Amino acid sequence: MTRPIPVPNEWTRPFWDAARRGVLQLQRCQACKHFQHPPYATCVRCMATDLAFEPVSGKGAIYAYTIMYHSGDKRFAAAIPYASIIVELDDAPGALLAANLLEAPYTEAKVGRRVEVVFQPLNDEFTLPQFRLARDGR
Amino acid sequence: MWEHRCKVAVSGVGFSRVTRSAEVPLAAHALEAVKGAVADSGLAMSDIDGLATYPELPATGHAVVDGVTIVSVNCMMAMLKLPNLSWHVQVETVNIGGAVQQAVNALLAGVCRYAVVWRAMHNPKGTYQNLPGTYAHGASQFTAPYGFGGPGQGMAVAYTRWLERHGQRREKMATLAVTQRRHSHKNPHAYFCGQPLTREDYLNSRMVAYPFCLYDCDIPVQGAVAIVLTAADRGRDLRPRPAYIAGYGQRLAFEVAGRIGSLSSYMEGGKSSSRLTWERSGFAPKDVDVAQIYDGFSASVIYGLESYGFCKEGEALDFIQDGRIELDGELPLNTFGGSLSTGRIHGLWHIIEGALQASGRAGERQVKDVHVSFVGASAPIVQGTTFIFVDEPY
Ligand SMILES: [Zn+2]
Repeated sequence: MTRPIPVPNEWTRPFWDAARRGVLQLQRCQACKHFQHPPYATCVRCMATDLAFEPVSGKGAIYAYTIMYHSGDKRFAAAIPYASIIVELDDAPGALLAANLLEAPYTEAKVGRRVEVVFQPLNDEFTLPQFRLARDGR
Repeated sequence: MWEHRCKVAVSGVGFSRVTRSAEVPLAAHALEAVKGAVADSGLAMSDIDGLATYPELPATGHAVVDGVTIVSVNCMMAMLKLPNLSWHVQVETVNIGGAVQQAVNALLAGVCRYAVVWRAMHNPKGTYQNLPGTYAHGASQFTAPYGFGGPGQGMAVAYTRWLERHGQRREKMATLAVTQRRHSHKNPHAYFCGQPLTREDYLNSRMVAYPFCLYDCDIPVQGAVAIVLTAADRGRDLRPRPAYIAGYGQRLAFEVAGRIGSLSSYMEGGKSSSRLTWERSGFAPKDVDVAQIYDGFSASVIYGLESYGFCKEGEALDFIQDGRIELDGELPLNTFGGSLSTGRIHGLWHIIEGALQASGRAGERQVKDVHVSFVGASAPIVQGTTFIFVDEPY
């Protein structure tokens, strides 16, 4: 599958640089310690501008999901049906990450299922944080 | 209550032909709808002195060409050459409901007397929602690489959360699709007028983005609708019975772009918008005789019914059962067929139906004894606007 390749900007580059090293980092407000995703210019909780990227554990739960059956984009046609999921991380409540559920049939996607991050190289430059069902079930 | 309640009225509505694909440029549809609304008001085109629209093309990955894929205020000015034009606006947020609200404000300020608002929608050739090409810029860098394309998937993920958190079943949504389709058989302008839809059709239809099947999604079409708004004291002198705007509201929160799937963001958008409308009008959900709630994707109706306060969270799929949303039910809903039956024209058609029901002009589908007519004109999350129309000032 040829996925669209992310184009980082000044706010988002640290996220992708860390992913390439196999580390999940999210933007965190240094004033109120709130994690937010996608990255933004300011802290959306306290309006502070002192923001930095910090590693998170990569453990969380499926917040929501959809199973894609529509092959409007031919690049994804071979993967249909596939699960597009939204993950809420234990370390960063409210910061919702889009991903696909890997290493499991799409029928395993359920709200609340425990998942853990895995890294899927896209090309030499970019690696996608993805998720699979948590190995220990927690 | 709002001191300006019932001082502006809808005095005319107009429709273009609705076709599946573009047979004539979109500007021709917009012109047909605007002419229809002006004629319905009993006005001459030269009376029109205000123009407002929300021109956005919601399809992604297609060229924006004024007059062909959108119809801007400039395009309409060029077509109409209004001799008495004195005000116009083109809004960027809260969809077409925002344009209607701006026109209400302009009429209240006295800077125009007869304002036309239109919504023209284009159906491009090929895939409606294209993922970005090779590269995903901006907010899409966190979604497109994972196969998230248009707003449908964003709403689909929130819908699974709603279903599974509340222990609900998507099959119950068949009632909405089937009931609305039946309503649309009394609306000759609707794309699907006269084409039956059964519960079995819904349950057997193909999945698009689970939990959405084909009949949970409005069909992209080419078409336009329009209204004329005027000061209420002028409206009384016009031909049809006016529908008075008793209150309006718009959503007051916004999510960071690219944050998708949040169920609470739908609920917060709807709560903030409807709170203003209830406060300004002085009405409550229990006072509503008929409701139009935006249904571009079926789940939008769930978020609307719950966040506007018609039922409790988690109960909307039960609320719509047992005849409650029929024309003679407790809360007749999307009585014109909704977007699921008219085709994707966005919320101005919901506003039109809300006005027609309030003024007793809905023909065969008229609900009996309508005094308070509620409209939720867009999905509550990012574009939510709400309105109440009444039959008589109070
Ligand atoms: Zn902060």
